[in-house]
Amino acid sequence: MAAASCIAGARAAELPALWAERVKCTVAVEYVTQTELERRPTVAYGTVVDSQGTIILPSAAIDLRVSPSQIRDFKVYVPGDPEGTPAEYLGRDAYTGWHFVRASASIRGRLVPVTAFAAPDGAPETGLADEVWGIGIRNKDEDFMPYILQSRVALVQLLPQRTAIAQQEVAGPGLPVFDRDGRFVGLGASSFGQTFLEFSGADRDGAPIMLVNLEESSAFLVASEVLPYVARIPKNVFGRPLAWLGAYGLEPMDREVAAFLKLESHSGAVVSEVLEGSPAEKAGLKAHDIILGVDGKPLPRFRPDRVVVDYVERLIAAHSPGETMMLSVLRGSDRIELKVLLDEEPRLVREADRMYFEKIGFSAREFVYGDAVARHSKTSELSGVVAHLVKPNGPADVAGLRPDDWIKEIDGAEVPDFASAVKRLSDIEKDPARTETVFLVNRGSETAVLRIKLR
Amino acid sequence: MSGGFDRLLDSVVRIDVSELNFEDGARRIDASIGSGVILSQDGLILTNAHVVGPKAVDINVTLSSLERVNAKLIGWDHWTDLSLLKLNPDEVKKRSLAFKHAEFGDSDKLYVGETVYAVGTPHGLTRTVTRGIISNNNRYFEDTEGVDGYETGNFNSWLQTDAAINPGNSGGPLVTEDGRVVGITSRAYLGANNLGFAIPSVIAKRIVAGLVKDGTITRSYIGIIPKALQDLEGFYDLAANSGVLVDSVEAGSPAANAGLRAGDVILAIDGKKVDGRFPEELPMIQNAIASLPVGSTLVLDYKRASNDASATLVTARLDSRMGEEWVSDTWGIGVRKVSRAFARENQLADDTGVLVIGVQRGFPAEIAGLSRGDIITKINQSPVDSLDVVRATDAAYSAKPAPTLFEVQRERRVALVVLKP
Repeated sequence: MAAASCIAGARAAELPALWAERVKCTVAVEYVTQTELERRPTVAYGTVVDSQGTIILPSAAIDLRVSPSQIRDFKVYVPGDPEGTPAEYLGRDAYTGWHFVRASASIRGRLVPVTAFAAPDGAPETGLADEVWGIGIRNKDEDFMPYILQSRVALVQLLPQRTAIAQQEVAGPGLPVFDRDGRFVGLGASSFGQTFLEFSGADRDGAPIMLVNLEESSAFLVASEVLPYVARIPKNVFGRPLAWLGAYGLEPMDREVAAFLKLESHSGAVVSEVLEGSPAEKAGLKAHDIILGVDGKPLPRFRPDRVVVDYVERLIAAHSPGETMMLSVLRGSDRIELKVLLDEEPRLVREADRMYFEKIGFSAREFVYGDAVARHSKTSELSGVVAHLVKPNGPADVAGLRPDDWIKEIDGAEVPDFASAVKRLSDIEKDPARTETVFLVNRGSETAVLRIKLR
Repeated sequence: MSGGFDRLLDSVVRIDVSELNFEDGARRIDASIGSGVILSQDGLILTNAHVVGPKAVDINVTLSSLERVNAKLIGWDHWTDLSLLKLNPDEVKKRSLAFKHAEFGDSDKLYVGETVYAVGTPHGLTRTVTRGIISNNNRYFEDTEGVDGYETGNFNSWLQTDAAINPGNSGGPLVTEDGRVVGITSRAYLGANNLGFAIPSVIAKRIVAGLVKDGTITRSYIGIIPKALQDLEGFYDLAANSGVLVDSVEAGSPAANAGLRAGDVILAIDGKKVDGRFPEELPMIQNAIASLPVGSTLVLDYKRASNDASATLVTARLDSRMGEEWVSDTWGIGVRKVSRAFARENQLADDTGVLVIGVQRGFPAEIAGLSRGDIITKINQSPVDSLDVVRATDAAYSAKPAPTLFEVQRERRVALVVLKP
């Protein structure tokens, strides 16, 4: 007994030392989102995963709608040091959702990869009531000072990744969590909302509000959901190749529905639409089919039911274009097996070309596949451009152009593609005698003719 | 005041309406007050469509003698915001109720600055007379707020007056000093000072005649949304005051089928030149098309870029976006049939399904996760192509409650839910 308490005491004393060593695998990453009209800095926290200075950031750290060409000036900060060092954005991995950033060589000597603290093979995974601790990082005005958070595991759940939920906040999202021996046990996930009652002078009974802590999280992905994937460094900033199925709007099948369809033991995802020209369409998948299994394995049951949608999407992302995927679906009362040859995802909005036209006061963006899907339009006939950004009170704004308007004609002539739109708009801007331009735009189920007066 | 004006005062009524609404997923009675004017000795009363519509279950009219008598709806036309009622003749006869009826004046002869009076029941204050002038005799609203979701105002312009108009004035007459009805007071900008609007009598007379004859107003539809050409004549190389711009062509409409496109300029309809230079001119152009019998053949001469062209099309019947409504007391859900116009506006594949307009808390529909805005497309795997399908399943469920599978369209997603006893 005496020996046991002695060891526990020794371990407690080591915690600051363990912490000081492990802080070296954490960084703050700052980048700037530069649009036509503004520059907006953002700070996120990440974990170093190899000796090359590779850093992973959580999916939410960078807005997926923003073009990689508009995020720039990446800087890495070692916690506690106000001096940043330039870094490079490597892209986002579709399977894990992580963004990868690489620190410049000059700072790599001060970083330690989190893999250095991995538990030996065969070590048991974090379980209920285990004592865990993690790292948080303060804001830029506090020199990104690191600090410690400590808790115990309250619950382990499949969401669909194995996720431990601690009793209190245990790490910043994207920052590592360790056990009492200093072994890496997981990576801080985005935190869950907590419901509070808000009382005010006007509402003395209290109104429920949900608060989400953006700086610290009580949830973390367990180590086995992290370590095998840290080498998935994207080949390019767009994270291509991206596997594409083309089943749009997956919705979970809940337990009541499963029981009604006599599928009590099954989990499933309802296909809302099958996209035109997609691998799913070619394989014969139909809207309203219910996917019950993938690659010969039935979909597991999750709590809540909606997690199954993420699960299927991750299964797709785990494949590469050109690979086949087997789908077991229920259509009416028939069970059907479909063999889908996955393809490369069509050009995404964040990959679309764009250009700003100062005199007209808007930026035109290439019309891509997803734009056609969003507008219920034929995806085989992509034409026109999208008004991506409309400068407030600029000529286009005054004429009634709105962001996301689909510009189909300029001065009475159809716009076949982005390049011809750019040519025509540039000519308009270059011509000093020009006093107006007329756009035909599509908005929802209607169109509108807009006369833009040029100053 | 004139004898005519005294007579008018005796023809203005207060209308108390009880309306059945399903928007909470239950039968709810809403009470409201409006005004109206008696048009004939057999007790026809003109009021606003937003005062009395098809949802009215009880219409109680207070005559100038302060006697109360029931009335029924003869017909309504939400497009012009007008409704026609009739006093219960048996009761009128039995109780020997006396009233006067009003005469229409000619709203086309009104001049700006002319004195007019609004008579009605503002905030329940029976037979209130307010005085003002005609502030504008051809007011156009770009944005039409509608009558409980029903479309309004595409086919008429409005009289604007500074006579005080308040809630409850709706449906009452706007009259000249001789007591002739030149408009039906229908709306005002609340929070603004003395900005009231009335439907001109030239429109009202036509609607009354149509409602008396058929109980409804049928209009022709071709599916174009016009836009004023102002300042665009140069761009389209047109003489001033000729043509109207096609801003939008509705998918699947007669105009779309005839090949018309947005950006075309319609120069003549059936050989008659059109002038849509100003927004104020658009309602009359729309009305000219709408007034044709459904199924009329129409020739549109139009200009596309520098070419003149002509299209022949056959008009269809104009539909509202609002379909028939119904409520299930067992499921606690109010629904409205998806109409073709609603489907078109919302880019739905077709008009299959019913729209959820309300759910009652704690009832099977709410527990299963149905919510307002969902479109129920299938019940127990059969398509919902009419309200009758919903009624029949509801009846079967009420007789023998059993789990029932609903397929709903929610934005772009298809969700399955099971309603259970």
